Amino acid sequence: MSALLEAEGLSKIFGARGLFGRGRPVQAVRDVSITIGRAEAVGVVGESGSGKSTLGRLLLGLTPASAGAIRFDGQSFATMRRAEWRRLRRRMQIVFQDPFGSLDPRRRVGSQIADGIAIHRLSPPSERTQRVAALLRQVGLDPAHAERFPHEFSGGQRQRIGIARALATGPDFLVADEPVSALDVSIQAQVLTLLAELRASLGLAMVFISHDLPVVRHLCDRVVVMYLGRVMEEGAAEAVFRRAAHPYTRALLSATPRLDGARRTRRILLPGDPPSPADPPSGCVFRTRCAHAAPRCAEGVPALREFDGRRVACVRAEEIGVPAPAPPDA
Amino acid sequence: MRRLALPVALVGGIVLLALAAPLLPLADPVTQDVARRLAGPMPGNPLGRDEFGRDVLSRLVWGARSSLAVAFASGAIACACGTILGLLGGWFRGLGELLAVRSMDVVLCFPPVLLALLAVTLLGPGAATLILVLSVLYLPGFVRVTYAEVLSARNHDYVEAVRALGASTPRILGRTVLPNIAGPVLVQLSLAVASAVVLESGLSFLGLGVVPPAPSWGLMIRGARATMAQAPLMLLWPCIALTFTILAMNLLCDRLRDAVDPRGAPARRRLRLVDRVLPGLLPAPSPPHGEALLALHDLTIEIATPRGAIRPVEEVSLSVPPGETLAIVGESGSGKSLTATAIMGLLPDAARVVAGAAWFEGRDLLRLDEKARRSLRGGAIAMIFQDPMSSLNPVHRVGDQVAEAIRAHQRVSPREAAARAVALLRRVGIADPARRARSYPHQLSGGMRQRVMIAMAIANRPRLLIADEPTTALDVTVQAQILELLADLRRETGMGLVFITHNLGVVAEIADSVAVMYAGQVVEQGRVAEVFGTPRHPYTRALLAAVPEGEAPPSGIPGVVPQPHAYPRGCRFAPRCPHAAAVCETPPPLEQLGDRQLRCLRHAELGAAAGIAA
Amino acid sequence: MAWAARRIAVSLALVWIVASIVFLVIHIVPGDPAELLLSSGGFAPDPAAVAELRERLGLDRPLLAQYAAYLGALLRGDLGTSLVDDFPVAQEILLRLPRTLELIGAGALIAVAAGIPAGTWAALRRGGAFDQIASATAALLLAVPVFVVGTLLVLVFAQLLRWMPAGGYVALADDPWRHLILLSLPALAIGKGLVAVVFRMTRTAVLDALSRDYVRTARAKGLSPARVLLRHVVRNALIPVLTVLALHMGSLLGGTVLVEYVFNWPGLSTPLLRAVEARDYPMVVGIVVTISALFVLLNLAMDLIYAALDPRIRAA
Repeated sequence: MSALLEAEGLSKIFGARGLFGRGRPVQAVRDVSITIGRAEAVGVVGESGSGKSTLGRLLLGLTPASAGAIRFDGQSFATMRRAEWRRLRRRMQIVFQDPFGSLDPRRRVGSQIADGIAIHRLSPPSERTQRVAALLRQVGLDPAHAERFPHEFSGGQRQRIGIARALATGPDFLVADEPVSALDVSIQAQVLTLLAELRASLGLAMVFISHDLPVVRHLCDRVVVMYLGRVMEEGAAEAVFRRAAHPYTRALLSATPRLDGARRTRRILLPGDPPSPADPPSGCVFRTRCAHAAPRCAEGVPALREFDGRRVACVRAEEIGVPAPAPPDA
Repeated sequence: MRRLALPVALVGGIVLLALAAPLLPLADPVTQDVARRLAGPMPGNPLGRDEFGRDVLSRLVWGARSSLAVAFASGAIACACGTILGLLGGWFRGLGELLAVRSMDVVLCFPPVLLALLAVTLLGPGAATLILVLSVLYLPGFVRVTYAEVLSARNHDYVEAVRALGASTPRILGRTVLPNIAGPVLVQLSLAVASAVVLESGLSFLGLGVVPPAPSWGLMIRGARATMAQAPLMLLWPCIALTFTILAMNLLCDRLRDAVDPRGAPARRRLRLVDRVLPGLLPAPSPPHGEALLALHDLTIEIATPRGAIRPVEEVSLSVPPGETLAIVGESGSGKSLTATAIMGLLPDAARVVAGAAWFEGRDLLRLDEKARRSLRGGAIAMIFQDPMSSLNPVHRVGDQVAEAIRAHQRVSPREAAARAVALLRRVGIADPARRARSYPHQLSGGMRQRVMIAMAIANRPRLLIADEPTTALDVTVQAQILELLADLRRETGMGLVFITHNLGVVAEIADSVAVMYAGQVVEQGRVAEVFGTPRHPYTRALLAAVPEGEAPPSGIPGVVPQPHAYPRGCRFAPRCPHAAAVCETPPPLEQLGDRQLRCLRHAELGAAAGIAA
Repeated sequence: MAWAARRIAVSLALVWIVASIVFLVIHIVPGDPAELLLSSGGFAPDPAAVAELRERLGLDRPLLAQYAAYLGALLRGDLGTSLVDDFPVAQEILLRLPRTLELIGAGALIAVAAGIPAGTWAALRRGGAFDQIASATAALLLAVPVFVVGTLLVLVFAQLLRWMPAGGYVALADDPWRHLILLSLPALAIGKGLVAVVFRMTRTAVLDALSRDYVRTARAKGLSPARVLLRHVVRNALIPVLTVLALHMGSLLGGTVLVEYVFNWPGLSTPLLRAVEARDYPMVVGIVVTISALFVLLNLAMDLIYAALDPRIRAA
């Protein structure tokens, strides 16, 4: 079965030119290749400046890439005509992080959910109310609330409305850009459960962007770890979580607080601050903070290569070795 | 909306009066009657006659016509052209944007009166010249407002969402962007019209605006000025008319601005004299036994709101053993931040403590006078906050801000304080501290800023540090660094730490004891290992189950946190609790069960069932 | 530093653009300037006289040549001679400009000295008696046009109370006290709008600063209320106040024209108004370009002060 979305060598540079030449170019994403299978959920994980949000928008075509090629269901973005591009928009959608900014405060939610249907003329106006009601029910909200305004809902409810809006066109592919980061823990779990259910019932392919590793673990089949615009490690979620091979992934996992508190004494601390995306280090971008850095890490960017069932961008992966499997979770 | 009624009525009234001038039984404003010049009020001329014998009242009303016609015409033209220009420039960017914005910058280089005078020199005075010039003068205002709004709207997620849906540009501009800029444009229009009235009257006053004998308020003032000695009263009528009109228009502008960008006035309760002068009037509870560094006892905070008084913190009791870390955990609306602010005495004006005590080293913090509290703040008790960017003053260097904290509590010279500040920065792990001390906050990363905050907090060797979500806004790896730093400092100084967070993992890693808050109350409190190992309150259990860690997928809690206006009568968690029963309608007290405190009436029965969290 | 250099360069460019636009505006107006000038009496002018005037003004040369000559003259400081009395324009401007500047300076000083403390106090005692009275006064001051204020001041203080003379001027060197007395009423008139604007902006800015996190931090450090107010509240509030001052420079300059007229203050407005009525192009152009250039430079000064106050700007 062919992949739903294939991206190769994606790069995005911001602020490359300005009429007054101001501002240094920022390389948000550099040479990222990613494949998403049908009905597959891929988590993209990283901290600020990793480029994960930019990658999400690149995959959707919301931001034009500075370099690289993207193919959706066999069709290349570059060679699409306007009509095909518009049809494509129906099949891929986005859910945003900020439940407050993602809905127009001046329009009723029902009308906003129906936007996709209206734009692509998917059903006649008479049926739209029913469609909207069905969508609201699907995300666990009362259909009668379609006539309300966004400010009358809580953060978690607004997120559900955002999801309903994204589902209105019947997409195959959803990019969720930190959809639960702004929510309380108990509401987070609600929305995560909803996303998992929808994924199962609708067969959605998903890219789930987050800075929070444990959140990604339950929802996603595969995980991509990004740092300063590049992919550090990629593989099946369980493999990456239990036997992280890249030093950055390990540091990330180690830094994430755990309920069992077992890491209290074994925390890996990264020294210093992340370098600026405007001025990344040569060679391996992580080497300035890596405990295992060697002189050859500065020679050339490490390629993403096969290692122990995953792909890792580290020239010293074998020497560093695979850590013992983490103790079983409580 | 209601607040708009008055100014709209006033301005509308004036406009209607001006429009109706031909229909009203007024004398001819232009006919001269020199014999009766400067006559006082008499029948037929309620306000007298001007220096050419013309009826003053009639000229006032007809004068309104000229002034308002010029003002509204130029405002409308400027609005239409400027809005379109700004829309196109802001949406399409590129060369058009450059032209639109920069050309407006050039227009703004000319003081308005001067440009008007230049135009009058070339084209001669008259209403047409005025309208042309005023339209050009007000164009930049509209372009800028529209341009700025479009730029900001572009970045809003909801505009991106519609773009992602595949909407065409006209649809986006028309349905999404335009409605959102309508407000500011309307405000700008009212400003332009009001300003145009002023400008036109000024030019007419100079004799370079509306051409006589057509009446205009400016012209009337000009004429009355010449005969000021003989008939001072005549000067007043047009002045009053003009001022009143502009006043009404300005009022409309202000109210429109408020309506478009409502910033709810914070509920401001006047500080009662009682509270200010005699903080100790409330009955003081007796000091607690025990050695706790900090002991909160039944703290209750009340806030006055338009909808009535609410109690977002109620009967909160906590204790911090010396040298230990107490974590206060809760979701939004739990009242954890307010509690911390109350301990520090930094509650906003609208909030006040109505009951309870906060014992620190034998003294009740809530009953100290302001001077005593100030000497403790930043000294024995220090606090760090969530957002280090907004918590540091952007216009002062960080070294100065740290030194300021030192000098507030210790008598040292500025040089000594500066040197100590550098040492503190080094202590909190900032590399090259001497150079960094001269930086401004915006030049530092989030992690470094938080370190600066910590440096300020430990500057005077506090015995208690309160940290209000200090790592929530930071990346995970930076968070780990900061937590490590805090642990290090604690080991070195033995200070107590109150750590407020919503992240249970962090609690598990750094805290000795934990207090779980929900809807303004403490629902469970005890040693971390025990509370997390065997949670006894249904909320604690549900919270632990919602954490996405472990094998099982996280499970949410149905419903939402109740608002302080509508707290349930009995147990506040009951509406969402899977174990709610009839007894839960009585308010549960906080009970002491050995080392644990628990607020649940059914804990005995529930405890009998399996208690280990999934 | 680079930022400052850029701003200065932009300002100079703007001055050049302003001068060019004035030139353009004059020359794209339909009708022959010389003819318009001579026909102000309502009679058709003598063709020979028109031709002679055109040659004298250089209007018969190609546009580009005229433009080059114009710019060259400006750079030399030669603004031509008045068509009315043959007096060199530049000399007239140099004589009178300082007096206009003095008015502006006095007005701005009054505005800042009164507006900032009042605005701060009103914000601190928000909703109190002072706040309400001051805000209402500010609204009234904003609504009354500057020439109305001027005229009424003359009516009250000169005519009715006879405390002050109605207008006039005495050089500072000759009689400082009388100079200041004569300056006071016009300065008050000029400053009235600005003081209201400064008051309002200060009040808003102080209220905003009071609610900021860094003020909470300052209090948490245990600083005295006075120090919190001065170093953290007012200091930060100055930035938007400066912005709004800069925005109102334009109306301030325009206001000087009206106030000088009302009080007979011998600044630039008298020759300007006379020149407008007589269509004395060189004089009008000279004064407009001068004041506009002054305006651009004033804005530049504001920008530089702004950068000194707010370090974030220097980084951009």
